[in-house]
Amino acid sequence: MILDLHTHSEASEDSRAPVETYLKWLTRKRDVLPVDGIVLTEHRQWNPNADYRELEDQYGFLILRGAEVETDYGHILLYGVNDAIAQRFDFANVRLNAQEVVSEVARLGGIAVPCHPGRPTIGLCEHYATKPPLEGVVAIEALNGGSRKGENERVQELIDRYHYRSFGGSDSHLVSFVGICATEFDHDIRNGDDLVRALLTGGYRPVDFRDRLRQGT
Amino acid sequence: MALDFDRSILGTEFDHSVHPAVRQTDIDAYAATVGETVAAPGLAPPTYVVSLRTRHFLPPNMPNLGQVGFDAGKDIDFGVPIRVGDTLTSSSTIHDIYEKTGRSGSMRFIVLRTVVTNQRSEQVAVIDQKMMFR
Repeated sequence: MILDLHTHSEASEDSRAPVETYLKWLTRKRDVLPVDGIVLTEHRQWNPNADYRELEDQYGFLILRGAEVETDYGHILLYGVNDAIAQRFDFANVRLNAQEVVSEVARLGGIAVPCHPGRPTIGLCEHYATKPPLEGVVAIEALNGGSRKGENERVQELIDRYHYRSFGGSDSHLVSFVGICATEFDHDIRNGDDLVRALLTGGYRPVDFRDRLRQGT
Repeated sequence: MALDFDRSILGTEFDHSVHPAVRQTDIDAYAATVGETVAAPGLAPPTYVVSLRTRHFLPPNMPNLGQVGFDAGKDIDFGVPIRVGDTLTSSSTIHDIYEKTGRSGSMRFIVLRTVVTNQRSEQVAVIDQKMMFR
């Protein structure tokens, strides 16, 4: 099963992509973007009332929800967000304590994983150069569709040194970017709990469809 | 803590401007300036609304968001068309203030929302103007 674990819809202030249009695009590009679902990771927010079940039924894609929060170690994706996690943290705070986020989200039933680690200022690599490593990190976004040249390449050193598992996501803010990078799981994911379990236990890897999309095959 | 400011300023009107009636010469001048096509005589291009000059661009009780600011783009929801003779009224509020971090560091944004209506109280446009500060 293949999921794009990092997407932003128009609910994020810097995206113009309606969720339904993502699904229309993925339907149209299914031959080159074989994605089974997406995870909406809106910036600095959690809307407990967002409900995409009708769109799931209509288009046949799994739609899960997470969040992207901002910390003293850069940006971190949260999966398995629940009421307890949403109440524990002020998602709008751009100076969250990363260690607290990783530890507390895990304690409350979710998982917190750093994204675009190779990005200046807001990626883990730069912070690890001057600060001690975070405890409890199990995976990092090794492949990010929004990274500039060289940013994804910086991540391998972290993986080698800390034995993090790696996953991928498009980080799409525009419709035509969804699904270009994603994560292939050995087992089916049906809901947020499945996703958290899978990310904790392994059996997944980043997949890159950018060449296929460019070639249109 | 998220960005600290007095949240009571959100949604409070800081500008209310009634603009002179729209003339064909205004439409023609706007269209020529931006290279727009005038679809029909008497009808303004939708983006004509951005040419309206309000009395106050920023609120008097603007929080200090930083030393340097620049235009960070605008979103416009278009309503009914603007026609020659329309008298447009604009009402501006601070819609949102937030902070984010990116490759270049911390940034603070203010979103100024201007609702434009015509003499029949029909909504012509809702303009969300973003300014970025650091």
